[in-house]
Amino acid sequence: MPDSTDLLQGTLEMLVLKALSLEPMHGWGIGNRIGQLSGGVFAVNQGSLYPALQRMLRKGWIRSEWRTSEHNRRARYYQLTAAGRRQLGEETESWNRAAKAVFGILAEEAP
Amino acid sequence: MSAWTDFTERFRALVFRGRQERELDEEMRFHLEREIEERVRQGASPEEARRQALLAFGGVAGVKDAVRDASGVNPLRDLAGDLRFALRGLRRNPGFALTAILVLGVGIGAITTAFSVTDAVLISQLPFPETDRLVRIFPRQERGLTQLSTVDFQAIREQQKSFDELGAMQLSGMALSGTGDPENVAAGRVTAGFFRALSVVPAAGRLVQESDEILGAPPVVVVSHALAEDRLGGAGGAVGRSITLDGVSYQVIGVLPREAAILAGFRGRVWPALQIPAPTRRGPFWLRGIARLRDGVTIEDATQDLAGISTRLFPIWQSSFQDAEARLTPVSLREAIVGTSTGSIRLFAGAVTLVLLIAIANVATLLLVRASARTPELAVRVAIGAPRFRLARLVLVEGFTLTILAGLVGIALAALSVTLITGIVPGLPRLAEVSLGVREISFAAGVTLIAGLLVSLSPVSLALRHPTSSSLRTDIRRIGASRGGNLVRGALVVAEFALALPLLLGAGLLLNSVLRLERVDPGFDATGMVTASITLPRARYDSAAAQAFWRRAEARLAEVPAFTAAGLTTELPPTDPGNVNNFELVDFPTQDQPLSPWIFATNGYLEALGVRLVEGRLFILADSTGAPPVAVVSQAWANRFFPGGGAVGREFWGGGCRECPRTTIVGVVQDVKYMGLDQPAEAIYIPMTQSDITGLNLVARSSVGAGEALGLIREVVRSLDPELPAAEATMESRIETTLANQWRWTAVIGGFGAAAVLLAAMGIFGLMSYSVRQRRREIGVRLALGAEPGSVTWMIVARGMRLAAYGAVIGVVLALIEARWLRSMLFDVGPTDPATLVAAAAALFVAAFVASWFPGWRAAKIPPVEAIAVD
Repeated sequence: MPDSTDLLQGTLEMLVLKALSLEPMHGWGIGNRIGQLSGGVFAVNQGSLYPALQRMLRKGWIRSEWRTSEHNRRARYYQLTAAGRRQLGEETESWNRAAKAVFGILAEEAP
Repeated sequence: MSAWTDFTERFRALVFRGRQERELDEEMRFHLEREIEERVRQGASPEEARRQALLAFGGVAGVKDAVRDASGVNPLRDLAGDLRFALRGLRRNPGFALTAILVLGVGIGAITTAFSVTDAVLISQLPFPETDRLVRIFPRQERGLTQLSTVDFQAIREQQKSFDELGAMQLSGMALSGTGDPENVAAGRVTAGFFRALSVVPAAGRLVQESDEILGAPPVVVVSHALAEDRLGGAGGAVGRSITLDGVSYQVIGVLPREAAILAGFRGRVWPALQIPAPTRRGPFWLRGIARLRDGVTIEDATQDLAGISTRLFPIWQSSFQDAEARLTPVSLREAIVGTSTGSIRLFAGAVTLVLLIAIANVATLLLVRASARTPELAVRVAIGAPRFRLARLVLVEGFTLTILAGLVGIALAALSVTLITGIVPGLPRLAEVSLGVREISFAAGVTLIAGLLVSLSPVSLALRHPTSSSLRTDIRRIGASRGGNLVRGALVVAEFALALPLLLGAGLLLNSVLRLERVDPGFDATGMVTASITLPRARYDSAAAQAFWRRAEARLAEVPAFTAAGLTTELPPTDPGNVNNFELVDFPTQDQPLSPWIFATNGYLEALGVRLVEGRLFILADSTGAPPVAVVSQAWANRFFPGGGAVGREFWGGGCRECPRTTIVGVVQDVKYMGLDQPAEAIYIPMTQSDITGLNLVARSSVGAGEALGLIREVVRSLDPELPAAEATMESRIETTLANQWRWTAVIGGFGAAAVLLAAMGIFGLMSYSVRQRRREIGVRLALGAEPGSVTWMIVARGMRLAAYGAVIGVVLALIEARWLRSMLFDVGPTDPATLVAAAAALFVAAFVASWFPGWRAAKIPPVEAIAVD
């Protein structure tokens, strides 16, 4: 497994938003999903996931409720709010812009 | 992002702390189980899976902490913890807590009361709209003459360009009858412009109009809300009814709203329409002019306007009023009403601030001592890892908890004293408006916060200082022996004494002043003298009938065996300068005419006073209506205007009327004070027979007690005319009332001074006791080596006295600064009177001595074995 890349706080929150945009899930599931979606490149540090979730709750991007999980156990499920969805859109856009710019610089051939 | 979700989440985290913790627990557990499951699925053994899962997770406790931190309530929770700690600390030391809270509470309460008084009287607007546009017009630039003449008023009305509205008011008392008991009521006769200038809207009916002002128009009256409710069955039913004032029937045309109880500083019960008769000369001065400035017109503009009117007016009436320099002057109404009391307000506020500062210093010292005793504890906290700002916050929370509790006590005390206000702060205008409203409570809150900061300042700086390792090993008896700490504590005590001295001085000066006033000879012996004030209603008594009444009154008074002497007078000593007239001496004609109290009286009155004839003669029968005018003057008057004697035989023009017959001075009598005990005793007496008076006082000296005499004089009045209301009083009570104000001030400031000294003494007591505790071992050594116990006591006492001395020196400087504020309140004693100053300083030293002596005495009892006790 490659080194777990150090994710910036903001990036982590963006990834969580994306993971939740597909379907609501619990904390472990989110970490798992992000790992899957990134093809194994990002392994979320679980110690930073839960504080991040708490912060996002305060910001109003996600909300939580307790449900029974797939194994009939109680777990706390998170889901996107409308504000969260908007935030996801904005962050995706700015990431794309940044990425394009970086690629543009990197793609410059030396004369 | 969303403030609402932020708030709700934080709230939830704060309030449902238990549930949050359990949920967090469960969430973590679920996560771990899933992680373990996953690894098992990938082939690890259960134990290996568990180990790896825990590793990957990275410390459950740490994660939980991080989540709690992210929930944003940690600061609040820490604060709550600090608060609980502070309260526990206070509960453990109830003595300290109660003292501190009480001391500060009294200080905060006192200053809040002072603010509420100052706010009502000085700062806030008078209770009717646009008050800064309202002015009162005086006939001269200098005060002295405060009321306008008819000529003045009419001239202003015709020629002015600066005012939107102009009105006149005459203050008087009228006899109300026809509904219930006859009563003397405060009456303000006003013109239509008066109500309009003050923007008064009636609660019922209408107000005075121009048509009511025409001479001979039917008499109408507007009544106050209070009167309507007391006597006319409420505001609704009052309009249209009739009341009898001074024997004349007035129709009630309107009722004032409840808020308009005081207009232009006067609390009138009835407001009849004023009908101004045509003037014959420029005098007498009987009207108060109130006006509202036009928009865009300043007081300076109005002053110019009125000055112009004055110059145009002067030549027309020159024969009766010779002061060519006099200018009609507008003064802001608020200043006119409040004017003289600013000084006493400032004095009161100043005194209260001093006491508060002393209280704060006292409590700060207490906290400081406590803080230094906790140095080892704080050092341990720092060693464990508490950031220094948390320690500072802890100390700050303690200080604020104390002051906030004190603030609550203070507000309660202020509420109490505001209801008792008339007893505490005497004789102020607008006293009725003093209350404890939002402004006052905000003020109290602000003071509490500042006090909290001041009180915590030293302990916090102590907490922020680097704790050295030695403080962990500190011998408990040497706690806080740092030089810095001692210096601060000493400085606080010095400050307390410095602040207490001006207060003591002020109290001493006021006491001095009032004692001197007491000793002033009013000019007569008041024992056994009674008076009754009567006003004859015009409707039933014309000039001839009035004269007849007075003659009958004299005769009736003479018939009472208990009255050894009796007479009639328009003015009563020692303070009733209701009638002050100008006059011009024939021998020294002048533009600037002097004024003197003008008293219409009978010989019997002078006899009743016990005033001796010094020169010339008293009134005789020949001095009757139509005869050449005569007057008797007081010794002080004669000395002032004819130093060296010879006043008898001289002449003057009364009222400055040069065309009128001259008045001849026929006699000089002993002095009696009419303008107040602290004023000169000049007076001019005119025989009653040569005047047309409807308002008089019956005065009698009786050989029986005052109570009985009051009854007798009431009988006399009733026998003359049963429908006449009369106000009886003993002469002694009159004199007492004039002094009462001074006494009350002395009591108030004296109370503050005593409180200040007490606090300062407590401060020194605490400091010396603490010092003795600190130096127990050292003192034990001294005693073991053979020192006299007395010398140990003396050492402590000397230290205390030295602090008091420093304080006294600074205090004297403060007192000199304060001096000018006191000047107006003092009689016959200067604000820097050395004797009083020495006495105040001596009182301070005595207090310091006593307060230091007890700890010193205890120090001498320390068994020398303390010196060798090893801890």
